[in-house]
Amino acid sequence: MKKILISGLIAGCILFVLSYGGLFLAIRFFPALFTEYNNPLFNSDGSRDALFYLHAFVFSFALSWFWDRFKGLFKGPFILRGLEFGLVYSVVALLPVMWISFSALDVTIIMVLSWFAYGIMQATIAGIIFAKVNP
Amino acid sequence: MELCRPPLPGSYLLKLIPDPETMWYRNILWISLLFLSPAEKSKWVVNENSSLTVNGTTNINKFSCEIPSYDQTDTLTLVRTGKDIVLSGKIGLAIQSFDCHNSMMTKDLRKTLKEKQFPRLYISFLSLSGFPELTAKPQSITGLVSIELAGTSKRFEINYQVSTDTQKIVHLLGSQDIKFSDFNLIPPRKIGGMIKTNDQLSVEFHLKMKTI
Repeated sequence: MKKILISGLIAGCILFVLSYGGLFLAIRFFPALFTEYNNPLFNSDGSRDALFYLHAFVFSFALSWFWDRFKGLFKGPFILRGLEFGLVYSVVALLPVMWISFSALDVTIIMVLSWFAYGIMQATIAGIIFAKVNP
Repeated sequence: MELCRPPLPGSYLLKLIPDPETMWYRNILWISLLFLSPAEKSKWVVNENSSLTVNGTTNINKFSCEIPSYDQTDTLTLVRTGKDIVLSGKIGLAIQSFDCHNSMMTKDLRKTLKEKQFPRLYISFLSLSGFPELTAKPQSITGLVSIELAGTSKRFEINYQVSTDTQKIVHLLGSQDIKFSDFNLIPPRKIGGMIKTNDQLSVEFHLKMKTI
């Protein structure tokens, strides 16, 4: 349990910096990609900002438990284990969620694909951290 | 009690109380003055080709949302009595008519302006700084208006350009910078505040009117 929490916290901190830092830079350098976010589907009064920024930690703790439970299935060097873990998560969890999001919400395919790529990146980084901290 | 006393020679009080004959002449004088400076009055019917544009910015783009046409028939009345020029009348614009040339942005603006609760924005005209000459050359004048948006009213001094064209249509162009916060509205902010709409908006309207 302690290992799950510690690796989850480490991954959460690293993902927080990389995810929101990356998002900040992407908005700054590719603003045209983000104009579609001026959409009433997205919360606009700031009331859920704290929840938004907690996402990196929720994601990391959930994946940390998942890693601890199934880490024996991922073989090889830690980078390969992390990469495989990220891909497994993406296929099992992300792809169906993105599929239902695009089919049900008024969002563009570019937006959904960017969320998918963002999720793969996050899960892969988290997997590499788990493979190193909690082998 | 003072008035009941016999008047003293040169009494000041005595000068203040006019006799009935003086009162009659004074009334006649006031009535004559009123007729000598009659109120000048014009009535304008707002044409359906009138439009309103709201320009704003976010930290990633600019937007321009417009109401391209006016769906009601309203009348503005201009009355000049002496030095006072009163422009009265109210126009109500449907928030649903806003078009930001991007469906998502249009929906977002309507939501921000609380369209479901307050389906119209109103501009009430209150006064003008000068009587429009109504010539082809645009005349710059200022005037007071009250803008009611999302249930909150605020007065602004607007800069107008007034002119007429060859078809005797009166063109009233007005512009004013307003803020979302003037109307207790929160400028939209998305994905944790990384995309922010600036509070400042520029409103421009172009009323095309016929004199009746």
